[in-house]
Amino acid sequence: MKRSLAALTALLLAVSGCSGDPDDSEESGPITLTLAGWSLATTPEFKTLADGFKTSHPDITVELKEYDAANYDTQMIADLAAGKAPDVYVQKNLKNFYTYQNGKQLVDVSDVAGKLGPKVGGLSFYQVEGKTYAIPYRQDSWVLYYNKALFDKAGVKHPDGSWTWAEYAAAAKQLTTGLKAKGDKALGAYQHTWQSTSQGFALAQTAGASLESGNFAYLKPYYETALDLQTAGAQVSLGDATTNSLTYQAQFGKQQAAMMTMGTWYIATLLNQQAKGDADTFEWGIAPAPQQTKATTGTSATPVTWADPTGLGINPKISERKIAAAKEFLAYAASADAAKSLAGIGVTPADNSSVADTIFSLKGAPSDDLSKFTFATHDTKPENPVSKYTAPLQNILKDLHTEILSGATPIDAAITKAQDRAKNEVLSK
Amino acid sequence: MTTMPVRRRRWRNTAVGWSFLLPNFAGFVILTLVPVGLLFYYAFTEWDVFGGATWTGLDNFRQMARDTSFWTALTNTFYYSVFHIPLTLGVSLALALLLNKKLRGVAFFRTVAFFPYITSIVAIAQIWNMLLSPGFGPVNEVLRWIGVDNPPGWTTSADWSMPAVILVGTWRDMGYYMLLFLAGLQTIPAQLHEAALVDGANPWQRFLAVTLPGLRPTTFFVTVLITINSFKVFDVILVMTDGGPGQSTLVLSQYIFQKGFEENQFGYASAVSIVLFAICFLVTIIQFVVNKRRSE
Repeated sequence: MKRSLAALTALLLAVSGCSGDPDDSEESGPITLTLAGWSLATTPEFKTLADGFKTSHPDITVELKEYDAANYDTQMIADLAAGKAPDVYVQKNLKNFYTYQNGKQLVDVSDVAGKLGPKVGGLSFYQVEGKTYAIPYRQDSWVLYYNKALFDKAGVKHPDGSWTWAEYAAAAKQLTTGLKAKGDKALGAYQHTWQSTSQGFALAQTAGASLESGNFAYLKPYYETALDLQTAGAQVSLGDATTNSLTYQAQFGKQQAAMMTMGTWYIATLLNQQAKGDADTFEWGIAPAPQQTKATTGTSATPVTWADPTGLGINPKISERKIAAAKEFLAYAASADAAKSLAGIGVTPADNSSVADTIFSLKGAPSDDLSKFTFATHDTKPENPVSKYTAPLQNILKDLHTEILSGATPIDAAITKAQDRAKNEVLSK
Repeated sequence: MTTMPVRRRRWRNTAVGWSFLLPNFAGFVILTLVPVGLLFYYAFTEWDVFGGATWTGLDNFRQMARDTSFWTALTNTFYYSVFHIPLTLGVSLALALLLNKKLRGVAFFRTVAFFPYITSIVAIAQIWNMLLSPGFGPVNEVLRWIGVDNPPGWTTSADWSMPAVILVGTWRDMGYYMLLFLAGLQTIPAQLHEAALVDGANPWQRFLAVTLPGLRPTTFFVTVLITINSFKVFDVILVMTDGGPGQSTLVLSQYIFQKGFEENQFGYASAVSIVLFAICFLVTIIQFVVNKRRSE
């Protein structure tokens, strides 16, 4: 009986994960850090950072721990709560940054931030009450991808960086009719199913727009454009895109649409897919995302766009010595050296001041000036401004997105409903 | 001398019994009973997973009372259940009666009917989404062909998304309950049917007077199962519509998932879970009482 009790206790301990962590309290010698990543086979940036760091810090090894891309934050929050999270973990976007920071799951890395140059984009998004809690290593931006061959076929002039949304919509319709006349089934534009494809631009480009205000009137013109293009048949409707599980990679890469707004991460994917044959081979380019007003268009102005930075934070439960090593890793990840390595695999680093040449020298990349301008010049606002209310408000706006684009509710009514919900369910708490 | 072996044998029997029970019971306690117990504590707290939970008394329940999304989810859950329960019950019973005959290839048809139940829900949702796609889906193609000018938008329409989900839910579940009904049908003595036949009962009368009463224990069991599963519906909806368009298919389980795992409000999510638990509990009690009264 005693023995079976002991066995049961052992079993319970094993199941509940109460096995002590090996102590790493030695003062010197080699050190191993663990780093969280997702989809390691198709996302080489984590390995690139780990390998690059090892060459300058031979004593510190960075090991990767894989997470599921779609459930990254859910899994990470569970692991942090259970005390089993890796030493350094990625802030995939800003939506959950508040949860980590407010939950005291991030080490204050203001000292690392203080030493970084002014060229590192997205750093300020990680600051709370004067302290910095994560260091960005990549900062994507949303741009307009266009298929040069389809534009030529339809006889429509290429984007020149001067477009507002009205001109974008007009071009999408022209492209659709032009291509149809040539017997091509491709549509003028593709808008992916995410709520951010309308809401990200609306929040970034509208003066005074704020998620936390609970006033969502700023969304209206952007949904008018989207609905107009859906009704005109110049872009696939949201319903057809979701029920048929369309992927944006296939829509643009297989030439189903002549243009598409998407983040700069797609540059690497598209190059890769064209090289492997997963995407058709055609000439493409990137142009600044369409703007709300003429004021921010043209190559002498800075176009306004959006995207969350991707950053690294440190798990506070690790030893002092490991924290010091982790801080060195964070400083490296945001450095110009790391930026070059990241650009070499098509990733847009947080410091993108000197990497445009690296990216555009990759095989298959566009070489025109507008593409280079687009990559280097933008005022990038966050998709998820850091706040306690961001996650629940974004969930309300997700419902608004499907409600409007499915045609279930007119824009004004949907906005009023979302505002009421925001007031009652989120902001009044 | 004579008492020892008896006592020892008894002790041995107990130990053997326990050893069979223990693996499952330990798992149940650690992974189900303890978390469910904790739920009743967390429902009265505010907790974001990190650190301790703050006791807030009945705040979560007060918030629920004026939370319109909660009421929408509750209404939708009842909407789903009210149609899904009788529909699944009827279809699976009909299938069982049909496939209880001795006919060629009956095993094949039984397997076919059972197949949806063991198929991955993600695959089911993807295929049904394509079949029901408003623009190019085969279902609407057929509807247009037989003269329906304005076929429904199914999962992309706020009015039709719930019927679409109910349809797929029924299709997925019918095979499993058919199997239970088939097992129940085997227990009805053939003599009863023969006697009814001799008395001149037609098939419909035989069904009402012999089959249905004979199936009562099975029907009760199946009804309880379908009811609980309908109120708990989650996976079909999550992968087919994700609660949309808007909140037209948002159900309680999904609302709990959203509040808990997407917005990290585990206290509030626990409180909503308790409401769902109470509903399932109440409905099951009522069913037990009704069943008991009928069997007396």
